[in-house]
Amino acid sequence: MSNDETFAAAYREHYWAVSRYVARRLDGRGSDVEEVVAEVFTVAWRRRSDLPPSPLPWLYGVARRCLANAVRGYGRRRRLLDRLGNDESAHGTQVVAGPGSDTPGDWVHEALARLSPADQEVLRLTAWEELAVDEVAVVLGCGSRAAAMRLHRARRRLRAEIDRLQITPVATGAATPRRDIPKEPGHG
Amino acid sequence: MADELELLRRANPVPSADPRFGDRPLDQHAERRLDLLLHGGERRLDRLPHGGERRPRPRHLRRWTWGLGSVAATCVVVLTLTLMFSGSATVPAVAAPRPLVVEAGSAPVPLDRIAGRAAAAGDTLRLVQGTHLQTWSLAMTSGPGSRPPVTLPEERLVRWKADGSHTELVVATDPRRPGKPVVTDADPVPRTVEDGHVLSRRTYPPSWSDAPPVARPPHDAVRLRAYLDEIDRTGPLDAPGLLDAVAGLLDNWTLGTRENAALVRILADAEGLRPAGAVTDRLGRGGQAYVYDDRAHSVRRMLVLDPATGAVLGLEETVTRDDPEFGVKSGDVLSYRAWMR
Repeated sequence: MSNDETFAAAYREHYWAVSRYVARRLDGRGSDVEEVVAEVFTVAWRRRSDLPPSPLPWLYGVARRCLANAVRGYGRRRRLLDRLGNDESAHGTQVVAGPGSDTPGDWVHEALARLSPADQEVLRLTAWEELAVDEVAVVLGCGSRAAAMRLHRARRRLRAEIDRLQITPVATGAATPRRDIPKEPGHG
Repeated sequence: MADELELLRRANPVPSADPRFGDRPLDQHAERRLDLLLHGGERRLDRLPHGGERRPRPRHLRRWTWGLGSVAATCVVVLTLTLMFSGSATVPAVAAPRPLVVEAGSAPVPLDRIAGRAAAAGDTLRLVQGTHLQTWSLAMTSGPGSRPPVTLPEERLVRWKADGSHTELVVATDPRRPGKPVVTDADPVPRTVEDGHVLSRRTYPPSWSDAPPVARPPHDAVRLRAYLDEIDRTGPLDAPGLLDAVAGLLDNWTLGTRENAALVRILADAEGLRPAGAVTDRLGRGGQAYVYDDRAHSVRRMLVLDPATGAVLGLEETVTRDDPEFGVKSGDVLSYRAWMR
């Protein structure tokens, strides 16, 4: 199989997975997602000779850098500057106060947003992209042991933030966490 | 209590079954992009994937928005919604800048001569990642309730650090009117702010890119041309494409002496840039003007070079045809960018 054929196969197989990866980090806004994904595969095309046998984590790594670089890209720069300048929307953490906002995402996103970007990413890759530790290592460009250590620490920190927020799962099915006594950062 | 990772999994904002991004055969946009990549069409890839679905607009307007959109500070706002101007009292009438005027009687200097001077300039100034520029850009509206265009002056300073992070500072200021109120649309409702008002101050974490214009530009003409070609991938690197790419480069890098020499050699070899004579730019700097009449897009583009070093001082884009839809008239300055060290 030539490099071009390998690239085409990877493109077809992983286009939507890469789109989801980008969408999760851009709050799912369709037009921006498509634009960044196009950039991801353009970069991947230039480097198609480097495509590994299991290309998805590698593509996520490219996407991660494209997202970081996107703020400097043509056209989308202004829009993304505006968006990335707002940490809440950039990380899908628009937390709405009040009981109506007690969906699973709100509280967990709030806890996640309190972590460092590095911790957030290793957790997202594990929970949302469902990558194994060695795949996370490929995305982050580090060794498997380092990735495992980062994940371990990030999980501990996320646990601590969840505890700070006192999020407890509802007894029936534990599908909808609720916050018993909300605390503001710095108050407890 | 549930495992924290399990809680996070349940909070996935875009699950695999999401109807927008769920696994399925490629849609037509994705198929088209793959086809372009596979068949040598990477250069033709439009960076705006929905372009074909947009409301048709005159080609020259697409050109304006593309060219100006390449500068974060000089975002030409082509809004189809009604802007909430709160009246002339909040946005005073500020005289729109007039196009630069070539000094009567001044002798045009061929680009080849500038290239020769630049090549002889040695290696006195070094390349710096980051940029410092002053921009004036025309914000336009169209559609019901549209308002007259307004010129937005901004100064932008981008500096990179050794760890790969960088900072970006954007200030509302117009050096032609020091101390006077400045119009901004950063809110995004247009209003006036005091001179020097900080519109944004951001720090970006370390990141890398091996693609132009973030990658380090080479300092020989052949490789620099390839670099510029990669910045402007919308088509062949003709004169307007070259000017767009140059602006993209200068929005990211402050060139050194060697890069300036390579760049002016490339400009000298480009077709369509006409020496026009001496000008004084909006920062009061003397320069030599080189004009490209982009008739296809109804825009005149004037590049201003330092005659001694070949450094690009500025780029002005002026409308050459009325467009009532956006309220612009022939002779209106769409944008002026002045790069500084």
